[in-house]
Amino acid sequence: MTEQPAIRLDQVSKRFPGSEVEAVRSLSLDIPRGSIVALIGPSGCGKTTTLRMINRLIEPTGGRIEIEGVDVTSRAATELRRGIGYVIQQVGLFPHRTIAQNIATVPKTLGWDRARVDARVEELAELVGLEAEMLDRYPDELSGGQQQRVGVARALAADPPVLLMDEPFGAVDPIVRGRLQDELLALQTRVHKTIVLVTHDIDEAVKVADRIALLNVGGILEQYASADELLRTPANAFVEEFVGEDRGMKRLTLRLVSDLIVTDGAVVDAEADRSAVPPVLRAANSDWFGLTQDGRFLGWVSRQDYEAQPSTALADLPRALPAAQVTPDSTLRRAMEVIMTSDTSTAVVDDGGRFGGVVTLEQIRAGLAAPEGS
Amino acid sequence: MSVVVVLQAAVPRDIGLFEWLLDGDTWTGRAGILSSLLDTVILCGAVMATAIVLTVPLATALAHYRKGELTLTWFVTLSRAIPTFAVAGLLVPIALKRGWGFEPWPIFLALLLLALPPIYLNTYTAVRQVDQGAVDAARAMGFRERDVLFRVELALAMTVVLTGIRVAAVQVVATEPIRAFLGGDGLGRYVRDGLGQNNDTLVVGGAILVAALAATTGLAFALLERVVLPNGIRRLQSTQTR
Repeated sequence: MTEQPAIRLDQVSKRFPGSEVEAVRSLSLDIPRGSIVALIGPSGCGKTTTLRMINRLIEPTGGRIEIEGVDVTSRAATELRRGIGYVIQQVGLFPHRTIAQNIATVPKTLGWDRARVDARVEELAELVGLEAEMLDRYPDELSGGQQQRVGVARALAADPPVLLMDEPFGAVDPIVRGRLQDELLALQTRVHKTIVLVTHDIDEAVKVADRIALLNVGGILEQYASADELLRTPANAFVEEFVGEDRGMKRLTLRLVSDLIVTDGAVVDAEADRSAVPPVLRAANSDWFGLTQDGRFLGWVSRQDYEAQPSTALADLPRALPAAQVTPDSTLRRAMEVIMTSDTSTAVVDDGGRFGGVVTLEQIRAGLAAPEGS
Repeated sequence: MSVVVVLQAAVPRDIGLFEWLLDGDTWTGRAGILSSLLDTVILCGAVMATAIVLTVPLATALAHYRKGELTLTWFVTLSRAIPTFAVAGLLVPIALKRGWGFEPWPIFLALLLLALPPIYLNTYTAVRQVDQGAVDAARAMGFRERDVLFRVELALAMTVVLTGIRVAAVQVVATEPIRAFLGGDGLGRYVRDGLGQNNDTLVVGGAILVAALAATTGLAFALLERVVLPNGIRRLQSTQTR
């Protein structure tokens, strides 16, 4: 990492008054610009303390924190915080102010003129997927998921380069949580912030983070790596236990079908001669073959039907089974599900209407054996 | 005693209640209702102003810094255990001995003691119970500590604080008439004078006046809350009590 990190923690320590032990002990961490880094660990690992030291809601007792190379203690805490977005689990919207007023909090503090504030509020509402009519409502009139979107919009209001999130999706139900996580990822592709996210949920970290910092009690950094690396090669027994026994399964959610080397499988062109079928079936050791036409997948034909109707053209054979389909950006987990429920043990890749090959369990296994990006 | 007798309302014993209330002389003049009302309103206003200035900033600051939880217990005890009449009665000889006279210190202090607990209790608990998420978020957005206190904590506590003030005001107004039995005047004088003259019209009429003032005070504060509170804060009232 030769490029300067957006946030650098250098030997940062925190000992709370009246406490014997340090909550965070000599933690060093470089957070690359434009990435999402998850701080995760068991309770008491100092992950929230670490987060709150970045915007000085908690003052470190040792070490140094830099944002873009500038020591955070070099200017007033209030001024520093106006340049850092902050999202918390309780959301913390002001209940006596409308949604628009809530989002406008920091821009107003910074003295933006009214027209600019209004324009920014509308832009943010659109960005986080809030309907315009919500803006005049009060927080208690919104659902939990909507409130959290407002929380994110408010944090982004003054376009801060850094966003701190403390268990942002902890208070909503699993379905909404999943959706908000997807929205965060979609948002990040548009805003490219440096995001530090505290979570206790390894699945959330695996899903949203580019890098995961796994902390142990006392703020000890056990491993700092990409999700795939953390799951594939845990640094020690603690990491291995923390990520769980199903770390192989978790990696399935990280990888996409497009990461695999996809083969054509037992597929024959519908216009081809019947004699093309037996070698394909033999090569794939399969009782089914697929028919394609003009690059589209038509369906599966069984060997039984093929042999029972010796004079029928391939295109006219009964297609007993529709294709169990995945797309190139489906996760491997999704592909596996499709394969498990398909009689042909095969998922067909549908690449925007075109036949993109087939995926089998064997291919998924081979794909997982290799590290991400290879 | 002779001073009091001279100032007594001179009313025929057989006058009817409506006759008395509708007579112009009943309302004007030195012993008239308007002047008595003014006495009462001035004293109650002074008591309330002092109580608010003494308690609201103190309770807000203590609640903000999470200090003085114990003061809550004192004030609860105070509100339940202090007999206002006895306090004022005890203070009268002290005031006389020091040459301060019958009025207004004994009754002022006794009423102040009555007004402090509801305001203090409501302010402290309301500020303490403000959503910590909102306070945390305010700080994280670069609010100065003063702004956190006024624009978030006190703003969100405001409806409950005002309720405390209203309760205190109604109590003070309803209790102030004891002043007439401690060497003073005010709206309680008609009940006192009526008892002294064995005149039921004065007793009942005086009691009605006192009750009407207490009720009006409650209504006036409710109206004031509607007028002075911004929309967003006024809504909290309904969501908080919902």
